Amino acid sequence: MEIKFNGGFTVRKTPQEVYDFLVDPNRFCPLLPDYQSMEILDAKNFLVKLSVGISHIRGIAAVKMSLVEAERPTRAVYEGKGDVPGGSASLRAGFDLQASPGGETKVVWLGQSNVVGRIASLAGGMLEPLAKKNVQRLIDGLQKALE
Amino acid sequence: MATTLRAKSKKRKAPAKNGSAKWVGQPIRRKEEDRLVRGKGIFVDDQKLMGMLHIRFVRSSYGHAKITRLDVSKAAALPGVVCTLTGAEVKGMVQPFIQIGSDPGQKIADYPMAVDKVVFQGEPVAAVVAETRLIAEDAAELVEVEYEPLPPVLTAEDALKDESLVHPQMGTNRNWHGVFEYGDIGKAFKQAAHVVHIGRLHFHRFSSTPLENNAVIAVWDPRSERIEYWSNNSFPAFAAQFLSPALGVGIDQILMKSFDIGGGFGIKITNYPYMAVCALASRKTGGRPIKWTETRTEHMQASAHGNERTFLDTRVALDKNGVITAIDSRHVDDCGAFPRYEPLGCVIWAQVLPGAYRVKNVRIDMNQVVTNKCPVGPNRGYSRMQQLWFMERILDICGHTLGVSTDEMRLRNYIRKEEMPYTTPNGCVYDSGDYAGMLALAKKLIGWDDWKKKQAAARKEGRWIGMGIGSTLDSGTNNFGQAQIINKFAPFSGQSKAANAKLDIYGEVVISMGSVPQGQGHETTAAQVVADVLGISPDLVKVKPGFDTEQNVYTGHTGTYASQFAVTGLSAIHGAAVKLRKEMSRLAAWSLKAKENDLEFGIGAQGPEVRDQRTKKSMNYWALANLVNVNNAGMPETLWDVTLNCRHVYHAPFQVPDVKRKYGNLTLTYAAQIHVAAIEVDRETFQPKILAYACVDDCGRTINPRIVEGQVHGCTAHGIGAALMENCAYDSDGNLLASTFSDYTPITAVNMPDLLYGHMESPSPFSYNGAKGMGEGGAAPVHTLCAALQDALYSSGVIIDDSHNTGDSIFRALQRASSGGFASMVRVEHPRASR
Repeated sequence: MEIKFNGGFTVRKTPQEVYDFLVDPNRFCPLLPDYQSMEILDAKNFLVKLSVGISHIRGIAAVKMSLVEAERPTRAVYEGKGDVPGGSASLRAGFDLQASPGGETKVVWLGQSNVVGRIASLAGGMLEPLAKKNVQRLIDGLQKALE
Repeated sequence: MATTLRAKSKKRKAPAKNGSAKWVGQPIRRKEEDRLVRGKGIFVDDQKLMGMLHIRFVRSSYGHAKITRLDVSKAAALPGVVCTLTGAEVKGMVQPFIQIGSDPGQKIADYPMAVDKVVFQGEPVAAVVAETRLIAEDAAELVEVEYEPLPPVLTAEDALKDESLVHPQMGTNRNWHGVFEYGDIGKAFKQAAHVVHIGRLHFHRFSSTPLENNAVIAVWDPRSERIEYWSNNSFPAFAAQFLSPALGVGIDQILMKSFDIGGGFGIKITNYPYMAVCALASRKTGGRPIKWTETRTEHMQASAHGNERTFLDTRVALDKNGVITAIDSRHVDDCGAFPRYEPLGCVIWAQVLPGAYRVKNVRIDMNQVVTNKCPVGPNRGYSRMQQLWFMERILDICGHTLGVSTDEMRLRNYIRKEEMPYTTPNGCVYDSGDYAGMLALAKKLIGWDDWKKKQAAARKEGRWIGMGIGSTLDSGTNNFGQAQIINKFAPFSGQSKAANAKLDIYGEVVISMGSVPQGQGHETTAAQVVADVLGISPDLVKVKPGFDTEQNVYTGHTGTYASQFAVTGLSAIHGAAVKLRKEMSRLAAWSLKAKENDLEFGIGAQGPEVRDQRTKKSMNYWALANLVNVNNAGMPETLWDVTLNCRHVYHAPFQVPDVKRKYGNLTLTYAAQIHVAAIEVDRETFQPKILAYACVDDCGRTINPRIVEGQVHGCTAHGIGAALMENCAYDSDGNLLASTFSDYTPITAVNMPDLLYGHMESPSPFSYNGAKGMGEGGAAPVHTLCAALQDALYSSGVIIDDSHNTGDSIFRALQRASSGGFASMVRVEHPRASR
């Protein structure tokens, strides 16, 4: 099942500063909800471990993330893929950065996730609100970290 | 809780136990109930064998994807794990399963596990074998699989586009195509007073949801190279024919045992891929027994669903009175990822081609496609219910469109009682039936006229109340020759069943038959038939149910499917019992120095006996059996052929159909059910609620009315669940959205309305006892409730175009109607008026 979210916010940082933050996995990844650990594979690829699940279906998901688009200072896009308890998930998170007056940056983001397997079948109805909550946590955390 | 309100009928008199009693027709309690209710049933999961291991499957999360990496090393290293199996490994150990259909379906390579790509969610990609079930489950979680998703094919229409191929080697997703054309379609449409065009109708996926999921124990004995199966497969003779070539062993090396089965209704016929993997696991572990018991989620995702069918571009020609004169339509059957009993469904529907109606000119362009969904399997009323639903929808849509009432529309179109036996346009012979009489009884039971008044009053209050009729046929005793219409090289035809009647050493009457009942009461009805032949009571007849290749007699058709036991099974048993009686007569005549014609069978002071009516001398069964088995010195040579162990094979009187014309008798008997319902759609929640429900059954001469009524209850519950609750729906990525009972919501007693039940008997001229097979029920409630919803919502512009209707879908249909969404779906022309 496909889950899509998008939105935008403005921070008092330049696009260069925001971009540098977003493409630095050491700073960006800990903001991911239920972050556990990270292993950097190379400049653009890293493995993130997240505690994920719904109700009693819980476990550690190893998500292989890649920075697939990096256009300093206007755009950064991550793609990830991993196994979650009872299924698999792929995700794409994109950030478009626009300079705003006063040295601010408008961040326009798009999140897209595709969940397959038993988890989508068993908990399909709960996934979307859960994903919405987690995406909001990520964006709130990102906004706070950039302030 | 549902109750049954019966139509008044003549009370049956209990038979006197004096040897002249007639047990057939009596509503005696089921013999098997005592055993099953007390937990003495013999089910697969009850069996625990020395050294037995447990297998757990790792299943695909994706509906359609390439397997890019599969690593079982962590699972294999877990203490307690004995071995693992991967699809690639299995490919090296077996041949693909045989395909019933012709090209391009013959190009499908159906292995019991996915090899390099998965084609439905839940398809096994690996298996783990361990000392306990829990270790196997833990180990399965350690198997690492990576996939590269491919575009899933999820609807019949998308499959026909061939943009993404489920089995690329086929070059198409359409695995079967054929045109069934009878009469003069062109002339009928030219002469029609009205032509109704119907855009698209859809019969949804649902299943049988047995209480007991699939279960197998397999032992591949390394010394004898024999494979012994204990399973709940309901057509073991068929499964063995699939397993033998796949596993590369002679069919006589495969021993099949199926005993008590906790429900099935066809869906367990296709569990043979799992049987294959269990055997391979046994071989890999040096011959240790392997047990697999399926979880509910596995069952929902990856056992078998009922067929899904889409009906496109339908044209219906009618005369000025609303009598249907011709039908032209394109049907697309979705068999899921593998045609495992298919494409037989592409011809089985033709057993009921015109439904209960007299239409003579029919053209159906029949297609079957593969999709990225669970493979289908026979599901109670298999393939016929889709056609019957289609016919019933046509009747209703045409009736509403032309302003002819739902009951009148049927009366004008029904095949008449006096036309029986009736030959359908494609050569099937409806043996007997009085559909108009059944409808009259159903209307009387429900109080049709009163409901029509209530409906009219309620409509003035703005309520949505509808009355619906469903006319359905339960064709039983299939002619396997129809498989040759699908594939002219298919080596199947006819129908047969075997039974054995034996007088054991101590005079016990023992019947074995190789059927595998799942609630159909075979032990009871078999005992009733034998009791009548021998003049004894059913409790003196021991019936051994179940299939065992080493102990039972059987033919390649043996199994429990296609509503036939009352005809094929009981005919075989009757024949065996008559042979036994003849041998007993010969023996008794010699021993009593009597003439065979002077002998009578009955129960005497020393139990069941044969007596000389002239001299009053008698011999009980023990004495007779003793003479043959352990006290036979002095027996004349003329009696040496008497074994008191008599086999009989019943052959149904079929011919191979005309394959070119797709013409011939495909089924021997046609039971019928007419259901009537009143339904209301809540204006706030859009939830449909059944207000009243009546069902009338005619299965010819009844063997046991209690069992028949139970079967009608069962199929009615199944059909109501299918119509209003149960749906194997997938999302756009190929995720099954109903992999638990909490999502699938199978019907329970609390959802059942009270049933008004009526019964009629139109004896079949084609069975020795006038009986017809029954029990599948043809999904009568699906037709009935769709008709009732159509009646409730037609004035709001809704066309009921799907067999599954819930509050949510009705809400969406009303929204669609309000935006003119159905306007183009049904269109009427008047060819004769325009000339």
